[in-house]
Amino acid sequence: MIKAFSCHFNRRLSLGLAVTLVSGFLLASGQEEAPAQIDLTNFPGQIVEKVVVPIPAEIFAVLDKLGEPNWGSGIALPSGDVAANDRSLLALTFGGLVAEGFIAVQAKDADKIQKIGREVLTLSNALGLTVAVRPHSLSIIEAAGDKDWSRVRDELDSTQQTVRETMEKLRDEELSNLVSLGGWLRGTNVVTIFISDSFSEDKAELLNQPGLIVHFREVLEMMEGPSGKTPAMRAISVGLARLESIIGSAEIISEEDVRQLRDITRSMLEEFYYEKNESAAGEAVN
Amino acid sequence: MTRYFKKITRRLTALLLVLFLAGGGIVYAFVNEAISMAFEAATPYVEQGFEVREDTWSGEVEPGKPLLVRHQLFRGNEYWFWAGTSWPGATVKVDIFDSEGQSVKLEGFVKPPPKKDAEFSEGSYAGVRTLPGKTATYFVRVIVEYDHEAAAKDPKLQGFNPAVDGVGEFTGTVDWGLAYGYR
Repeated sequence: MIKAFSCHFNRRLSLGLAVTLVSGFLLASGQEEAPAQIDLTNFPGQIVEKVVVPIPAEIFAVLDKLGEPNWGSGIALPSGDVAANDRSLLALTFGGLVAEGFIAVQAKDADKIQKIGREVLTLSNALGLTVAVRPHSLSIIEAAGDKDWSRVRDELDSTQQTVRETMEKLRDEELSNLVSLGGWLRGTNVVTIFISDSFSEDKAELLNQPGLIVHFREVLEMMEGPSGKTPAMRAISVGLARLESIIGSAEIISEEDVRQLRDITRSMLEEFYYEKNESAAGEAVN
Repeated sequence: MTRYFKKITRRLTALLLVLFLAGGGIVYAFVNEAISMAFEAATPYVEQGFEVREDTWSGEVEPGKPLLVRHQLFRGNEYWFWAGTSWPGATVKVDIFDSEGQSVKLEGFVKPPPKKDAEFSEGSYAGVRTLPGKTATYFVRVIVEYDHEAAAKDPKLQGFNPAVDGVGEFTGTVDWGLAYGYR
């Protein structure tokens, strides 16, 4: 929290100075030429292992440019019966709820954002992270009341980041990664719904994210202890494999592919976020 | 911020880090200065509508050894990546390539370490902008250059290298941080 505050403080404090200085450096130092090509197969350095998962708002920004979807119709709050004793499912749900907040920001629905802000706090309580999350939750509610959508987006990102950093400090990297997975899954699901409703190849290309799917599969494979072997986690793992088989093999993601991706992500979300729809889940599995 | 004040701030940060380590993790006081530098580089672009992500990459690296960061980009968005190092006398560079290793840099900048009596910061930062041609994984290359022997003789850097009590002393690596924003 202190780190995040310091960064924010630095960013605001240095705004005026930096504008002037960067402009000056752009002029003074010129642009150094980058090599036209590098050999990625024989890279003479260090590959950074950390994966930064894009927030849903990054994809939503492109979807908006390709034709504004009815974002309000995409908001679907979780059913609320998460197993409170299963921290893995709580972490996934937390990520999903933050993604829900990003959808509500696109819809400019202040009431829903405020509700999500309160839900975020409730969920953080179940995760034992109330102290870290409360300031963010309050900021989300306040910014939504002010209809300051950019600030809401920043706060949602900060909330997720604070939760992940707090988990990592507690040496709970598995949970931290599950927060990202939950957010990615909910974001991907709503994107597939909108693309299915109004298909174009340009929109479908947004789903070309095989590297992230591989990352999440590795996250689940590396989970230790019983929480990684529950039926829910196994189902999510199978779902990721199915997503990978579609995205990894398709040169162009077709309308039928998008429909499958939508149904698979929905069935995965039903493991922790939504109530199970037995008929739809059956269709997705078969 | 004066040069003197910066020096005090740097020592204070180091002191807080030591207290944190000694306290067994009770207080999380470490401020990632390389990331702060990257965020400083990003600040003007926020005014241009870029959303700067909170999640970042950072660490320590041997000077001159390139780092490669993989990241998913979406066609239709515009991206800036900003790299920073807080190490006095070090310079950071950042470039971006597609999955074939082809440069996709549209523009960039490098802020070298400050000249004598500079009042802003002792670190360095750099940026690179791209408009991805397709939605895919891209590769961001970060290189931090630092010549320890030259820096030790540089009068501009006296008082920074080496730091007191072994804290911040050059041990073969320098810090780096990478942030990004989109619009």
